[in-house]
Parts: sequence; structure tokens; C-alpha cells
Amino acid sequence: MGLRSLWRDPAKFKNILQLPLMIVMNFTAMIPFALTWYVGMTNWAPQITIDWWKADFIGPLNYIRVIPDDLFLNAIGRTLLFSAVCVPVEFLLGFLLAYVFMGDFFGKKFFVLIAIVPMMVVPAAGGYTFYLMFIKLGPINGLLNLLGFGSIPFLMVAKWAYVAIILADIWQWTPFIFLIMSAALLGLPQDPINAAYVLGASRWHTFRTVVLPMLRRPTMIALILRAVESFKLFDYPFMMTGGGPGYSTQTISMNLYEAGFRYLRYGPTAAQSIVILLTMAIVGYYAVKPLRAAQRGE
Amino acid sequence: MEQRLENIINLIIKYIFGLGVIFFALFPIYWMFTMALKPEIEWIPTRVHWWPWNPTLLNFMVLFIPKETILDWGLVEASHAAILTLPHETATKSIINSLILSTGGTLIALFIGTCAAYSLSRYKAGSDYLFLTFRMLPPIAILMPIVIWFSTIHLLDSLPGMLLLYGLFPMPFVVWLMRSFFDDIPPEVDEAALIDGATPPQVFTKVALPLVKGGLAVTALFIFILNWSDLIVALTITHRHAITIPVQIGLFEADVGHLYGLMSALGIVAIIPTLGFGLAIQKYLVRGLTFGAIKG
Repeated sequence: MGLRSLWRDPAKFKNILQLPLMIVMNFTAMIPFALTWYVGMTNWAPQITIDWWKADFIGPLNYIRVIPDDLFLNAIGRTLLFSAVCVPVEFLLGFLLAYVFMGDFFGKKFFVLIAIVPMMVVPAAGGYTFYLMFIKLGPINGLLNLLGFGSIPFLMVAKWAYVAIILADIWQWTPFIFLIMSAALLGLPQDPINAAYVLGASRWHTFRTVVLPMLRRPTMIALILRAVESFKLFDYPFMMTGGGPGYSTQTISMNLYEAGFRYLRYGPTAAQSIVILLTMAIVGYYAVKPLRAAQRGE
Repeated sequence: MEQRLENIINLIIKYIFGLGVIFFALFPIYWMFTMALKPEIEWIPTRVHWWPWNPTLLNFMVLFIPKETILDWGLVEASHAAILTLPHETATKSIINSLILSTGGTLIALFIGTCAAYSLSRYKAGSDYLFLTFRMLPPIAILMPIVIWFSTIHLLDSLPGMLLLYGLFPMPFVVWLMRSFFDDIPPEVDEAALIDGATPPQVFTKVALPLVKGGLAVTALFIFILNWSDLIVALTITHRHAITIPVQIGLFEADVGHLYGLMSALGIVAIIPTLGFGLAIQKYLVRGLTFGAIKG
């Protein structure tokens, strides 16, 4: 009876299907998370003791210390600034490109194919290539010299290092917006647009009052996904500047990486990780709502 | 007549944008290629070399062939070759690791994720929110706990540990993508099979799975690209034994500084599969990247 009903009964079968996922999630996400709660309340560093359970318990001290940690807070601010510049620029560029490429014309398939190539480039390789392009004797300074502007010390000065990383990010992720918005434009119902034209609306007016409102959902999804992804920014600054000069391009991911894995301050880093995880979990919870609604076809 | 003129202007604008796209999208890749083909002297010349003046395949050979062999063959002179001061082994290990880990991780994620996706799609079970929110978290903050856990159970810098993580991290994509493919099957198909006397597991394996074969293939390639591109997981978990290509790219440093040519050559090796697979599933990229929310 028992085993047979396990397979026969849909209610039980559904749980069996979920079982492997639950095991993996618990083993590689939940246990470590619980462990980190504890480690975050110790002063564990491998220099002191190699086993975390022997480290001194210091209570919520690490969590309190998060507040006045300038490096940590500045890294968060910097990351948000990266997002605030990259995401709107990528969106405008990607959307513009999608709009220009709308409709059918000779060579469109080829252009679209080329346009999405940057997205397919492994970020570590891409970041490294951009490093090579921005160095003093790289092609970008070569071009600037040809045009008579003189060299710019891109990766040596904080301001320019910022610009270089932003350009690299725009290069890689504009295609993402382009793809989503192209799909959205393609799926637009033509009737309301034609109706607006028939009623004598101008191109711009039609775009603003008819097309744009219909693009709200995909726009939201594209912006949210991009914003969340850009908060994770790591590969490009890591390969291009290593966070430098000084700490001027260090993102939050790089800050945690350096504190945890270069300076081996496990206790405080564990506490900071928990803070970031909880914050982003709350942000993520609201961020995924439009995705879910779209999937349900609402 | 006026309409015709407008069409022509429109077309010209499209082609101007197209040319711009070709230039901006491809120039960095062109630069990676030229650097990979340049001999050492041309890596940082006093004046920019826009193309390799003396193209060579040496950089690619050093990736695969031990430096002693290269010296024996007399391909470079030992006296002035920074390549030969390289303290590391060849990049072959990282390439093999990348292949094993990306493929293995994809299979794990696909097996576990597809089961869960089917139960989400058909039985509306579990909290699908959880998986998506997981993807919104910065990986480094998840990795800190995992490193502590893995160091406790001795899984750091090991292939099994990395396989687990490459199965875990893309899981939200698998669950949501496969779910969107399962949702595309009309429920009547399942019901018909059940009425014919099939058990729920039989419906899953014999009816539903064959119907989403294409979706499975697309998801597999998509997840492979994600795993193959990963830097941060490999960087934190591996040190020597289980390093992957993106980590190895950063390791090409000798006494004289970065070995630009080698890094670029390995970069080319790294982007070949992602470009190939990515363009192969071009039609489904939107669906993949938006977790199935926009069908594309």
C-alpha cells in the first residue's frame, strides 16, 4: 500500500518532485546561512584559530560595527551610483536601438545578431579586454591622440576609472535591454496604433500616448532585472581596476570579497553578508512581483 | 512621393545605426583577437599597433603546451621571453575544469530544477517566490556562508563542491524557465493520459518531458553559458585544483607583469562556446533572461 500510493497519489508525487531541490537548497544555502549567523557573532579569523567553533563569541558587536564602517558604506554608495548611471543609459540606448530596428528590412537579422554579441562575452574576458583598451598605450588613447585630444589616464584617476567601468558595463548589457524591448515592440497590438494614425495623431503623439503605456510591463521587468544585476557588479571592476585607484571603484561585492578573502576578517564579513542578504531579500521580494504577474499572464 | 522619401530616410537611419552597432559591439572582440595574435614585443608598443604586425600563434600554443616543450622546439628564445617566466602550469587544466564543472553543474541544475518546475507548474506547489528572490541576492554574500560551510566539511577547492554550487546558482533560472515551458502544455494533455490509466510519474516522464524536449535543450545551453561565464564563485571557492578559465585569465601574471597575449588568447577560448551557444538559442534568450516572464 504505502509505496504504491506514493506514486499514485498526485499530492505525494508533487512532494517527491520537490525533494531533490529541498535537499540541495538546505545543504548549500540554509545550513551555511545559519552557520553564518553564528560566525557573524564571533571574532573568527583564520589567523587566530582555524576552526570557527573555537572563536570567541562577541555577540552582536559585528552587526553594530557595520554602521560606522566607512569602507563598507562607501562601497554601497558607489555601487548604487554605478547602477544609477548605467541602468538609465543602457535602457535609453537599448530602447532607442530596438525602436530604430523595428519592422523588417534587408540585413536586420545580421544587425540583431551582432548587437547581442557583447552579452555573450564572458565578463572576465570582456573586463580584461576593456582593461587592455583603456591602458595608456591602448587603442582608446590611440584614437584620442589621433583626434588631437591627448591621452587620458583612464585607469589611474578615480573619475576616469569610473567612466571606463561604466562604458564597459554599458557595452555588455545594452543588448539585454535591446532584446527585451525588441520582443516587447514586436508583441505590440497594431490596431490601437493604426487607429491613432487614422484619427490624425502625429508620430510622436502616438508614441507617447499609445505605444509607451503598452510597454509599461516589459519596461518594468527590464529595469528591475538590470538594476538588481548591476548591484552585483564585480567582474568588470575586478578585472579592470581591482577596485582602484585606492578604493575609488570598489563595489559592495568587491568590498566583501576583499574583507573576507584577502584580509580574512571572517567574523565582520559574515555579519556584513547577513546585512546585505537580508536587505536584498526584502528588495528582491518586491522586485520579483512584476515578473510573477507577467508569468501568470495578468 | 513624400512617403517614399520618408521610407528611404528611415532606411538610411537604420543602416547608420547598424554600422554603429557593428563597430561598437565588435571592436573589443577584435582587440582581444589582435592581442592574442601579437608577439610579446607588440603587447605594449610605444605606438598603438592597430593590427598585429607580426602575427603569431605562440600565445595559443603556450596555453596548451608546457614551456619546456616550447623551448625544446625552439619556438622562442629563452633569453627574452616573458612567457617563459610564467610560474604556472598550462591553462589546459582550467579549460578541462571549466568543461567538467559547467556541464556537470548544468545537468544537476536541470535534473533537480525540472522536477521542481513540473510540480510548480502542474500542482501549484511550493513557494516559487523563494527561487527568484534567491537570484536577486549578490552571489558574494551567499558565498561567504558557503565558504565557511565548505571549509568545515572540506569541500573547498574541490570539483564536487564546485559542481554543487554550479548546480545551485542557476537553479532559479531552470525552475522558472522550465515552468514556463511546462505551462505551455495544455492541461488537457495530462488529463487525457491520467484517464487512460497512467500514473502521475508516468505522465511526467512519458508525456510531459518529451513535449518539452526543445525547452530542455534551450535551458541546458542557457545554464551552461551562465556557469561557463562565472567568475565570482570560482574565485572564492577555488585556489589551485578546481580553477576555471575566468580565474585562470587573472592568474597570467609573471615577474614582468601581466602576460597580455596569453590572457587574450585564453579570453578567445573562453568566449567561443558562449558565443556559439548564445547565438544558437538567440530566439529564446529573452525568455531565459526574464525568467520566462516575456516569451519573446
